[in-house]
Amino acid sequence: MTSRIEEITLDALLPRVFAREEMSSSKVWRKKVVLRRGGRYLVESASGGGKSSLAAFIMGSRNDYEGKLMFNGHDAKSLSISDWQDIRRSHIAYLPQELALFPELSAIDNIRMKAEISDYQDMSRIEMWLDRLGMTDRRDYLAGRLSIGQQQRVALIRSLCQPFDFILLDEPVSHLDASNNRIAAAIVEEEAERQGAGIITFSVGNPLLIDNPEKLNL
Amino acid sequence: MSLISKLLRKNTSPARIAGFALSNFIGLLIVAGAVMFYIDARGIWDDDDSIVNTDFIVVNKKVTSASTLGDRDVTKFTKEDISELQSQPWVRRVGEFSSSDFRVYASVSQGGRGMETALFFESVPDSFVDMKGSGWSFETGQTIVPVMIPKDYLALYNFGFAGSAGLPQLSEQLLTGIPLKLYMRSEDGRKSMSMEGRIVGFSNRLNTVLVPDSFMQYANSQLGSDHKEAPSRLIIDVSSPGDVAISEYLSGHGLEVAGDKSGSSAAYLLKVVIGIVVSVGILITLLSVFVLMLSISLLMEKNRSVIHRLLMLGATLREVAAPYNMMIALGCVAAWILSVVALLLLRSFYSVALEGLGISSDGLIWAVATGTVLALIVIFVNIVAVNRKVKSAWALKMNNA
Repeated sequence: MTSRIEEITLDALLPRVFAREEMSSSKVWRKKVVLRRGGRYLVESASGGGKSSLAAFIMGSRNDYEGKLMFNGHDAKSLSISDWQDIRRSHIAYLPQELALFPELSAIDNIRMKAEISDYQDMSRIEMWLDRLGMTDRRDYLAGRLSIGQQQRVALIRSLCQPFDFILLDEPVSHLDASNNRIAAAIVEEEAERQGAGIITFSVGNPLLIDNPEKLNL
Repeated sequence: MSLISKLLRKNTSPARIAGFALSNFIGLLIVAGAVMFYIDARGIWDDDDSIVNTDFIVVNKKVTSASTLGDRDVTKFTKEDISELQSQPWVRRVGEFSSSDFRVYASVSQGGRGMETALFFESVPDSFVDMKGSGWSFETGQTIVPVMIPKDYLALYNFGFAGSAGLPQLSEQLLTGIPLKLYMRSEDGRKSMSMEGRIVGFSNRLNTVLVPDSFMQYANSQLGSDHKEAPSRLIIDVSSPGDVAISEYLSGHGLEVAGDKSGSSAAYLLKVVIGIVVSVGILITLLSVFVLMLSISLLMEKNRSVIHRLLMLGATLREVAAPYNMMIALGCVAAWILSVVALLLLRSFYSVALEGLGISSDGLIWAVATGTVLALIVIFVNIVAVNRKVKSAWALKMNNA
């Protein structure tokens, strides 16, 4: 997977746990959806709608689904371990709902860890993001000692420290106020634009405030 | 140091690594120490006089009434006897004893006292005598003849004869320093020669007065009759000294083994003890490998969520496994270094005691080699285990919801 991912295709995709359920109201499950690089998508659902499952399918941490998931037309189930690692390092940025920070490392070390794995060099940009999100004075705090809102901002910056064709944000601003939400949205949009990437953001009610996203209800 | 290893090290207890290194060290030390001691002290219980290899046996035909009554040929080996022996599967090669075909008189004079005795010489092919650098050679023109006598002769003299005759006891060192005057005369008394003999060694296995083969040929050509006698004793290089087939063959053909001390219970006991020590050492090393694998498994199970998060960030399996492998390698190397130091100490303790018995210098090399191989095996096995564990963390994640 050396070239860019132009499109992510969900073809009649359905989490196996939903196999017996009626999904007629969903615009995603059991439908054909094509997510394009450069596009902006807001996936909305009630709790339990399966949005974290969708994120896990796209990130390759689960494959308990029916139907097909394809990157540039390649079946995701045929990808090797190193393909997935490559996708995670340099094609799809991901902010999981549970943040997945390392509480025993400082905020800045959490970010540097991702930069190290993805071989991301631009430290001045990281400092700039920390500054805009008001986290500069918290950079050396252990991640475990930050508030949830602060952790969310650290995890957001971390997710940006890599080349990406898509950025997947699972409830990125659930613990942020409106002004921080706007700053976060602006940063994500700038960076996605700079990289020519698509934005896929998930929400159960407090969405990231990006401009004119295409809405997909699960 | 990468942040991944910083993170994984934060989730690792140093006590666990130290515990592994310690048990690995003890295992290595026991195995390598036993190997070292065995090699170093081999000479003591191998019943080896460092002159004749243990794989050699000396055989002769049983002396019967017939031979006493004059027919000496009964105890000689015929060509057929020798070729039949040669064809046995346990025989590597057969050497014939050559006897002196002349008379020998040896005398010693030391501090005014003198002793004289009639003597005989025998020789075996030089390839059966292992006396590197001890002057076991003779060339025509040489005036000194190296001689080897049985240890038992010395014991007979010291503990039997010297006491009753009021003579001083002689040590091996003393004897090797005393020149022997040798007077050799042909059977018919027409030809004779004098030479100086020097005792260069004492043998447990060869019950004879041995001289180099080259000297025997020279002296026989000078003083002997041309008639060559068939040998009455043979030295045999056997492939497996403990083989039952050997003793069966020998007793079946009325042959006797000279100087047979292989049944020595002390040597056997020492071998058994060393065997037990080596097995215990191997067992402990295996256990330490097992303990390490278990604790690595536990550790990785405990760190599973950390490993999962790292993999989700795009870290490769190798990047995740590397810090664990590094810890294992460091623990093993530390254990290896400690065990080499301990081996050196151990050796300095017993080398003094073994000095007089002819310590071999190979022990340390073999011990370190054994330790190195074991340590490498431990490292290899554990690295394989870690890599499998990381890979299985990936696979489980793929299948579990």
